Amino acid sequence: MGEAILFTLFSLSAVAFALGMVFRRNAVHCALHLVGVLLSLSGMFVLLHAQFIAAIQILVYAGAIMVLFLFVVMLLNVKGETPLLTPGAAKGFGFFFAFIAFVELLWIVVSQGGTEGEPAPLQALPPNFGSPAEIGRILYTTWLFPFEVTSILLMIAVVGAVVLAKRKFA
Amino acid sequence: MGSMGVPTEYYQLVAALLFTIGLIGVLVRRSALIIFMSIELMLNAVNLSFVAFSRQHGQMDGQIFVFFVMAVAAAEVAVGLAILVAIFRNRETASVDEVHLLKG
Amino acid sequence: MDAAFLIESAVKVLIVLGFVLLGVPLIVWMERKVIGHMQDRIGPQRVGPFGLLQTIADGIKLFFKEDIIPSQADRVVFFLAPALSVITAFVALSVVPFGDKVTVFGRDVPLHVADVNVAILWVLGTTSMGVYGIVLGGWASNSKYPLLGGLRSSAQMISYELAQGISLVSVILMTGTLSLAGIVAQQEHMWFIVPQFFAFVIFLLCGIAETNRAPFDLPEAETELVAGFHTEYSSMKFALYFLAEYANMMVVSAVAISVFFGGWRGPFLPPVAWFLIKLSLFLFFFVWLRATFPRLRYDQLMAFGWKVLLPASLLNLAVTAVVVALTG
Repeated sequence: MGEAILFTLFSLSAVAFALGMVFRRNAVHCALHLVGVLLSLSGMFVLLHAQFIAAIQILVYAGAIMVLFLFVVMLLNVKGETPLLTPGAAKGFGFFFAFIAFVELLWIVVSQGGTEGEPAPLQALPPNFGSPAEIGRILYTTWLFPFEVTSILLMIAVVGAVVLAKRKFA
Repeated sequence: MGSMGVPTEYYQLVAALLFTIGLIGVLVRRSALIIFMSIELMLNAVNLSFVAFSRQHGQMDGQIFVFFVMAVAAAEVAVGLAILVAIFRNRETASVDEVHLLKG
Repeated sequence: MDAAFLIESAVKVLIVLGFVLLGVPLIVWMERKVIGHMQDRIGPQRVGPFGLLQTIADGIKLFFKEDIIPSQADRVVFFLAPALSVITAFVALSVVPFGDKVTVFGRDVPLHVADVNVAILWVLGTTSMGVYGIVLGGWASNSKYPLLGGLRSSAQMISYELAQGISLVSVILMTGTLSLAGIVAQQEHMWFIVPQFFAFVIFLLCGIAETNRAPFDLPEAETELVAGFHTEYSSMKFALYFLAEYANMMVVSAVAISVFFGGWRGPFLPPVAWFLIKLSLFLFFFVWLRATFPRLRYDQLMAFGWKVLLPASLLNLAVTAVVVALTG
């Protein structure tokens, strides 16, 4: 019961914040709405027994990535676009294709990805499901190679960002 | 708990909605910054989907995927924002409609 | 999730909230008194015994002051920013254990609001959310100096968060748990300040930078930026920022105590008393620093964070990892 109430709360706030993010003019407001979405999703992750991911979501996404966004928005002092949306036929196409994509997604969800029969019941969870210790165990055994590749990717990103920022433009 | 939980489809539905809203943002907004944020929103919608499936099947691999998505998103944001700052320095604009030329 | 648990949690939340709200005026009083004596003055002495009620009087004064909102300010964000600052500071305290289990009405009550298995990440996450309060306050004022203060603080906090997080990771390597209660439980024989002295030094320096305290108080450097991010704030909104700063000092101190100084552990006295003694010593240290050191220049601050603290914390982590791997 409690889970259902919290789920409703988090999902409503997530969707509302998402809509606000897409349709607000001021870039700082957009960034704040996105932070709202991220926090709502973090709440949902806790409901789904993913405590570690929820904490990382707040720490990395809301606390670091979005601060960076906000920093750049303020640094560039971008004026709100006028008009807000891309003009002419492109806007119509945009909404149209987004609608089609939504119908497809909806169909996939409703049809259980096209599989036959009843959906699998929710599995009973082991006691330490989603705990940092368990995440760490899997990360450093099964997923060790992708993990190492990710670290190299981050390294490349750091170097790339520094090069881009340092470069003198004409 | 257990059988009383919210069905996974509901989470998928929310994820689909968020993904679509992000898609709208990418397609119809003009500011490169907002488009970038919309992409983050789409990534997060997928993350929600991953975690929901992870809970459904009682396997943690979905959460590991989210971990990787976040790492990639962090890298992407660092480089992407650096590019945006560079464009803004050159062109004094963050609108994608005005940076469609490959040169100058 | 029974009713007793809910009542127990509510009571603990109220205790922690009340503790912070009562503690902050005391800290402010102590700061003014201590700095006064360090500068060969006597500090507040008129209101109440030893001037103890001075902060209360100041609070009441702020409460009745006119609330000025700049005409071009972004009103919603302007209201939201100080609230965010305070909320994040309070929320971070919820995972700090401030005493051993006590038995009330036959129930074992652990003395922390929530023992989550990601407590350290929670504290780091909420403190990093605290940046928003300052950045947004600076931006929403729509004024030059606050904006500069806000930008400075966001860059400063992002830079110092890294080294702070990594210095905690080396302790986590030793304990194998992210729960603060778990970390305190493992310090029965030895406080982690002994094996992890360098991590503690790095953590403390970063903590001072995160709370925007002297000598790292660049976001509100009054000689350059008037009052930094809260230049345009007055009345209760200013009081909220003030409250948040001191509450954040409590958070950093409480985490440092739990991770490096054995938390509530100590001989003879009851656990809660030990926690409070250690907390007071830490807060005194903060005040002492402020009275002693001049403010750094901004480039010095950033260079120190990135070129000294971050490599030092990484080195410390590497050494810890090797030692842990060798000794098992």
